[in-house]
Amino acid sequence: MILIHPYAKKLISGKKNPKNYPYWEELIQKIPKSIHIVQIGIEGEKQLVDDFRKNLPINQLKQLIKDCRIWIGVDSFFQHLAWSENKAGIVLWSVSDPLIYGHTANNNLLKDRVYLAKNQFLWWENTEHNPDAFIKPEEVIKFL
Amino acid sequence: MDKVLCSVATRGRYFTTLPLVLQAIINQTKLPDKLVIFDDNDEPLDMRKEMIYQYFFQILNIKKVEWEWIYAPKKGQHHIHQIANEMGYKWVWRVDDDAIPEPDVLKNLFSYATAIDSIGAVGGSILTPPLQFEGYFPTGKIENIDTEPNIQWSNIEKIKEVDHLHCSFLYRAGVHDYNLGLSRVAHREETLFTYGLKQKGYRILAAPHAITWHLKNPEGGIRSESKKEMYAHDDQIYRNIINYRDKTIIILNCGLGDHIVFNKLLPDIPNPVIFGCYPEIIPCRSIAEAKALFGDIEHWNIYKKMDQWKWTESLENAFRKLYL
Repeated sequence: MILIHPYAKKLISGKKNPKNYPYWEELIQKIPKSIHIVQIGIEGEKQLVDDFRKNLPINQLKQLIKDCRIWIGVDSFFQHLAWSENKAGIVLWSVSDPLIYGHTANNNLLKDRVYLAKNQFLWWENTEHNPDAFIKPEEVIKFL
Repeated sequence: MDKVLCSVATRGRYFTTLPLVLQAIINQTKLPDKLVIFDDNDEPLDMRKEMIYQYFFQILNIKKVEWEWIYAPKKGQHHIHQIANEMGYKWVWRVDDDAIPEPDVLKNLFSYATAIDSIGAVGGSILTPPLQFEGYFPTGKIENIDTEPNIQWSNIEKIKEVDHLHCSFLYRAGVHDYNLGLSRVAHREETLFTYGLKQKGYRILAAPHAITWHLKNPEGGIRSESKKEMYAHDDQIYRNIINYRDKTIIILNCGLGDHIVFNKLLPDIPNPVIFGCYPEIIPCRSIAEAKALFGDIEHWNIYKKMDQWKWTESLENAFRKLYL
């Protein structure tokens, strides 16, 4: 089973979080159908696979982390939770710096440091979502 | 190079003690690299139009001391000192606007600060005529603050390590913040600041041969407020912080992921008392309670700290720097 955590926290402004990976549909298409994918997230987020588990408490998330073969996510609390459970995965980066917010145990896929936000320590409200800042699905799939 | 900023906060003393203070600074045997005057007057004047001040500014230029006159935000002197604290100098010499340093004060304070390892702050005697506190032998311990005069109020004859200082001292800038949760009167702000430096592992010294004369004046002054409730508010914050002095106060006013990262280093932290947002990750008390107890909780804002430190390492290491 592969666990995906596609979306970072919603912004107060309602704008798209610049850390949200824009190519999930294409990436999921490239994963063999025989592999069960579980999406985790919260109510209101776009459903990408049949098995979407919403609003799970921390202990259930930890159990899913234990049970999965690998996980894929964006820079959000989930990558930290998986790290605390000693389960390596794939993190899809864009504007936040994996050297600061990432964990070396993971595959931190950053397209180019040129896309990193100049100030890493402000809210993400004023940073625009840029699909070009992300690595393409065909690159991600090589790491699975 | 250990650059020194001299910072003077002033209110209501344009034509009484402030000129004497500026003259004393100009006549130091070691000059600061820059003098900044924070004007906290309700109706600030352009002092470039006053003859005496014109001379002061010219002499500063001749002596190649950079100077700046800043109209202050009128939120209390703790806000002013925090601005100075963040101006990028290694040391800040804060001088009150009614305290006249003898010519060798900065030279001597600076020599102690740079000759001894890990100095956080060093202050000399602040003497108010007629002398009242000779013959006392204060310990300078924080637990004795209610029962003894401040060590700076008498003639300091030999160097002594203390827990806190009272006023007009030289301090290491940029390593500890002033408590901006205090009211406009900023009661106990120096004590909290210098004791905070000590809690961060820096040494606080009361030093001899650095006498400043305090021309106590009920008129004017940065603390010219009389509201008792402000003093009571600030004193309560002071007492709360001191009551937790044997604990490591941890305030996680940040995201869920930050709590998870912090949790990894929790076993290394001595006597933690935690205030946070996600008790399901770390058992904690509320952020509202932390604000009520300690006033300003920005000292513990990990993102503000990383920004200040121009941080490039991991978030986990930033937490280690803040708490260990």
